[in-house]
Amino acid sequence: MKMHGWHWRHLYLIFVFALLYAPIFYLLFYSFNQGTTMTHFIGFSWRHYAELFADTRMIQIVLDTLLIALLASLLATIIGTLGALVIYQVKRIWLKNSLLSLNNILMVSPDVIIGASFLIFFTFFGFKLGFNSVLLSHIAFSIPIVVLMILPRLNEMRQSLVDAAMDLGATNWQVLSRVVFPFISPGILAGYFMAFTYSLDDFAVTFFVTGNGFETLSVEIYARARQGISLEVNALSTLMFLFALILIAGYYLLTRYTTTKRRQRRYQLEAKIKP
Amino acid sequence: MANTIIKFNGVEKRYGDTVSLKKIDFELEQGKFYTLLGPSGCGKTTILRILAGFTDASAGTVTFKGKRINDLPANQRKINTVFQDYALFPHLNVYDNVAFGLVLKKTTKTVIKQKVSEALRLVRLSGYAEREINELSGGQQQRVAIARAIVNEPEVLLLDEPLSALDAKLRTAMQVELRQLQQRLGITFLFVTHDQGEALAMSDEIFVMNNGEILQQGSPVAIYDEPINHFVANFIGESNIVKGKMVADHQVEFVHQCFECVDAGMRPNEPVEVVLRPEDLDLTSVDQGNLVVTVDTQVFRGSIYGIMSHDHAGNHWLIHSVHQSTVGRQVGIYFEPEDIHVMRYGESEAEFDARLEQYEGEADEKI
Ligand SMILES: Nc1ncnc2c1ncn2[C@@H]1O[C@H](COP(=O)(O)OP(=O)(O)OP(=O)(O)O)[C@@H](O)[C@H]1O
Ligand SMILES: [Mg+2]
Repeated sequence: MKMHGWHWRHLYLIFVFALLYAPIFYLLFYSFNQGTTMTHFIGFSWRHYAELFADTRMIQIVLDTLLIALLASLLATIIGTLGALVIYQVKRIWLKNSLLSLNNILMVSPDVIIGASFLIFFTFFGFKLGFNSVLLSHIAFSIPIVVLMILPRLNEMRQSLVDAAMDLGATNWQVLSRVVFPFISPGILAGYFMAFTYSLDDFAVTFFVTGNGFETLSVEIYARARQGISLEVNALSTLMFLFALILIAGYYLLTRYTTTKRRQRRYQLEAKIKP
Repeated sequence: MANTIIKFNGVEKRYGDTVSLKKIDFELEQGKFYTLLGPSGCGKTTILRILAGFTDASAGTVTFKGKRINDLPANQRKINTVFQDYALFPHLNVYDNVAFGLVLKKTTKTVIKQKVSEALRLVRLSGYAEREINELSGGQQQRVAIARAIVNEPEVLLLDEPLSALDAKLRTAMQVELRQLQQRLGITFLFVTHDQGEALAMSDEIFVMNNGEILQQGSPVAIYDEPINHFVANFIGESNIVKGKMVADHQVEFVHQCFECVDAGMRPNEPVEVVLRPEDLDLTSVDQGNLVVTVDTQVFRGSIYGIMSHDHAGNHWLIHSVHQSTVGRQVGIYFEPEDIHVMRYGESEAEFDARLEQYEGEADEKI
């Protein structure tokens, strides 16, 4: 009986994952096609990759997209962390709840509306659309995500930890840097990665605020797909998929790193003590 | 008092409508061991928090060496705390937790190392410096919290039930260690517990609290022998409390009999409560006893028997005896006049002290 249940559960998992990953692998598979359509696989070749690397416009767009994502998530993390600290500090319940609601409204409102409102905002103030407008709007929609990742960590922190640090002579800054930040650092890291991925694959907001002469990847692929998709996009997708894998592995290793390092150091020490 | 280090003057604490502390007054002398003793929720932690500076007093003044410190932030007070919930930093290991205060004071590495290992030795955790906090048991965490506070050698150390998670043996050992440390370094300790045995064993002075008030302050012996009211008598040690009447000075009536006692200074025929400690009652034969009781139950407690009995008026009497008795048998209990302690209803500590002084003065004149 036990074996039976185990078996079915696994089958279910395999089914779900197959369903989720099939389109992606289909896409990846045809990036190696010698032909130019996604219907007939003629033979293996690197030609679409060669095309991609020869396409300087595309390379430029990939780099711009990464730069935007890196900058936007970094700045959003800094602003969002401070914002979370402020919300955490607020004692009056109604004020705290209103701040939280304002934060959450930005999270749940459709990207199209946010994008359109940014467009109106930028044009109203005569702000030139391009790199800066994309960066600013990405920062803006990433902040609520960061806040949402950090607040639960802060709420988990017992007030007595802050009291204890003060008791041992810490100044306000030392309380923050030596107790609060280390405690919420997993939240900060998660917030940073979330913001990074949101920025990387945002289409709707970006579409409104790019203007002429500056594209991000999602907007560019959308434009190309309208003219009939070339397998160069498949090659790019394969590379992006690998990049995402590396990113996730990196995140995993980073979160494990600190504890493992300290544990290893201790085991070595204890091994030395024991004969 | 010349060497008063801390003084509470009319300190109150309110949270909204609820009053946690009502007009607390006390003084702590330098280098003594004080204990706050009282049931859960009576305001012990609140007093420590006000003293450490984590929360403000709603009214009253707190002074440290004669200076008002109500507005001094916690990080500038020469006071350290062992928290009731330990409050260890989870991202730091044992060593870094204990070293935290010293590092902030920019102590040199070698001194820190030596002081931390000394503190860890004191709390019997020498091999644990590199452990993570979540790899420790509750009792071990509690001892790290003690080490983290004492390593700073503060002038005043506040300990909020610092031994509550330890087993009986380790607890006794730590009591001795803490007491020795306190005497060696001359630190003023303010120790919180709701274990009356611990309070009696360790303290120079005990404050008995209930409902946000200090009911009685005194040495362990004074509080044990002369509790001022029913609550204190019941809370500290075991006691037999019966209703009685003060017939005249040195004459008290209870269980319809008149007994000689040492208390005086009350109105004639004033209703009172009489306390007799179980260890002051001796079992004897029916005709030699002051009172006659019937044995109800008998419990062996290791070194003594706890014998529950009742008299003909329905009062219950607990007797501690090294000898066994028989359930259902009538026995006599015998006590001396000094064993009787008389308490007036609603008498405050100040009134009690005044009365004591008065009739002890009279007694001296007679001699
Ligand atoms: N932040 C707070 N808000 C409202 N009431 C509080 C707060 N802190 C404490 N109290 C109340 O003040 C009273 C005293 O609490 P305190 O923590 O001092 O008790 P305690 O004597 O330390 O009890 P225990 O032995 O259980 O630790 C309690 O009735 C408690 O409910
Ligand atoms: Mg408490």
